[in-house]
Amino acid sequence: MTKILLIEDEEIMIGLLQKKLSQEGYEVWVARDGMEGLKTMREIGPDLILLDIVMPKMGGLELMEEMAKDQTLKKIPVVIISNSGQPVELDKAKELGAKDWLIKTEFSPQEVVEKIKKQIA
Amino acid sequence: MAVRETKKEKISILLEDLASLESYARDLFGFFPNPVLLVSSSGIILEANPAFEKITGHKTEEIVGRPIEDFFEKEKMATLVEKSLSKGHIGGEEINLFDKNKNALPVSVSTMLRKNESGEVVGFFLGLFDLTNSKKAEENLRNAQAALTNILEDAEEARARAEEEKNKTRAIILNFTDGILVFNEKNRLALINPSAERLLNIKAKNIMNGSISELNNFSGLEPLTKALGTKFEEIFRKEISIKNDLILELSTVPVMVNKDKRLGTLVILHDVSRDKIIERMKSEFVSLAAHQLRTPLSAIKWTMKMLMEGDLGPISKEQREFIEKTYHSNERMIGLINDLLDLTRIEEGRYLYKPALSNFELMVEYVVNSYKEEAAKKKIKLEFKKTEGKLPSVRLDAEKIKLAIQNLIDNAVKYTPSGGLVTISLNYDKDKVELSVQDNGVGIPEDQQKRVFSKFFRGANVMRLDTEGSGLGLFITKNIIEAHGGKIWFESAKDRGSTFHFTLPVKTEFESFLKEF
Repeated sequence: MTKILLIEDEEIMIGLLQKKLSQEGYEVWVARDGMEGLKTMREIGPDLILLDIVMPKMGGLELMEEMAKDQTLKKIPVVIISNSGQPVELDKAKELGAKDWLIKTEFSPQEVVEKIKKQIA
Repeated sequence: MAVRETKKEKISILLEDLASLESYARDLFGFFPNPVLLVSSSGIILEANPAFEKITGHKTEEIVGRPIEDFFEKEKMATLVEKSLSKGHIGGEEINLFDKNKNALPVSVSTMLRKNESGEVVGFFLGLFDLTNSKKAEENLRNAQAALTNILEDAEEARARAEEEKNKTRAIILNFTDGILVFNEKNRLALINPSAERLLNIKAKNIMNGSISELNNFSGLEPLTKALGTKFEEIFRKEISIKNDLILELSTVPVMVNKDKRLGTLVILHDVSRDKIIERMKSEFVSLAAHQLRTPLSAIKWTMKMLMEGDLGPISKEQREFIEKTYHSNERMIGLINDLLDLTRIEEGRYLYKPALSNFELMVEYVVNSYKEEAAKKKIKLEFKKTEGKLPSVRLDAEKIKLAIQNLIDNAVKYTPSGGLVTISLNYDKDKVELSVQDNGVGIPEDQQKRVFSKFFRGANVMRLDTEGSGLGLFITKNIIEAHGGKIWFESAKDRGSTFHFTLPVKTEFESFLKEF
């Protein structure tokens, strides 16, 4: 089963995405900040990561910098799900290797699923 | 016999001597080039030499026997005669002599008394010196002197004016808050103002007349010298970082005389450090605000969506109705916050994020395509008219221009009823590209047209149709277009539709910078 690691700190979002994604048949793992995310991805080796930007302890961009240093981790496709959407941030994410991004207020859960499908069949 | 003969001899020798002396005197008198008169003590001319005849044009017969006053200014001559008789002689007195044609000739008069053996005054010699030429020379000299004085005064005035202008300019340059450096035609530093000294932490006397490579030796100036290069290519508002916390905007302007002669280069340093800090703070605030405001809204959006799509279990018809309303209400809120966030980011128009040369046509096409679905849903025909030929590249901030295009198309689609037509067309000339968005929708009533671009404006006729809009869209769009140096305008008639146009300049910003300056 395809493993998706959701790194997000908002409880409601976690709840909604878990529900939606498991309905689609994905195995959903959750981390609530960058550090926990880093630890979890090393343990489970997800097929795709849904990554929030603004999180306590270690944010999404910082996490991607850490992932870039690791040969295995940097191969995992990352889709940014964010609510700040500043051009500076998105450019940085792209630079660091993010495959896609979306702003939560502009997309629905179904559209998130579609973006995931684009990255992993 | 011998005695008488000797006496006779002596007398004849004396007579000969006398005759010879008389002849000598007569020759001298006749030769003398200056006019000389012999005048009796009563003022009658007894004798006049040829020079006097010449100067007056009279013949001896017309002169001798006449009173001397007849030939001179009467009163003045009378005074001179009196003076001569009382003093014994006068010298160099100026008076006018009148010639035959009554012309006044300025002369200098000298006299000397003649006395007989008894010491009685028998008359006086009067000699003249013609002053005409010297008078003329004097006058010429005076005229030349006056002319020269005028020229000197004019020159002095011009010099004073130039000096004043120079001082004015100098004062402006010295007090200018931006740093100014001027390099001469040999690309050596000719001037640096106090602001530049302060910004670059350098003293004028250390670098004056230095070349670019010499400037490079001073620590901290490398970013500047690197940016300037060796040839002083034109630079427009390039950011360079001198120290950690000092960021300068660098611009260069060639100083030309007559379009082809280069006098030198003007280098301007504008301190944007504080602006950059503020920009960064603003950006951070917007980022944080965006996130904080959007988080709860996205939670609501996703929950409502999933409810409506049945992902959270079945819902009744009545429940669906309320959920949909909540969803739409929430969408409105999201739109409002988007507008407010955009507004905050672009009000400071100067700082367009990464303006770059772009393919405007492609950008418009992209946005048009993104509205195809929505237009189809409303049964509105969406048309895109490209131009023949290739649109010139335009320097723009892609994200913001896309926003502007979106706003216009969004309005057109929103305010056109079902079955309507929205046409997007492109045009260009050598100076600019133009986008037009035309619809045949509700239009803007004439009495409201003035306020179309103001903050929070919404046409009265649309508020009834659709209360969703924030009224910020066109205000933001106008700011974006004008920040790019473009123009935005529209034509509209109530119930007939509107056409919105905007232009973006093709020419380099450098020319407009020069205009400002």
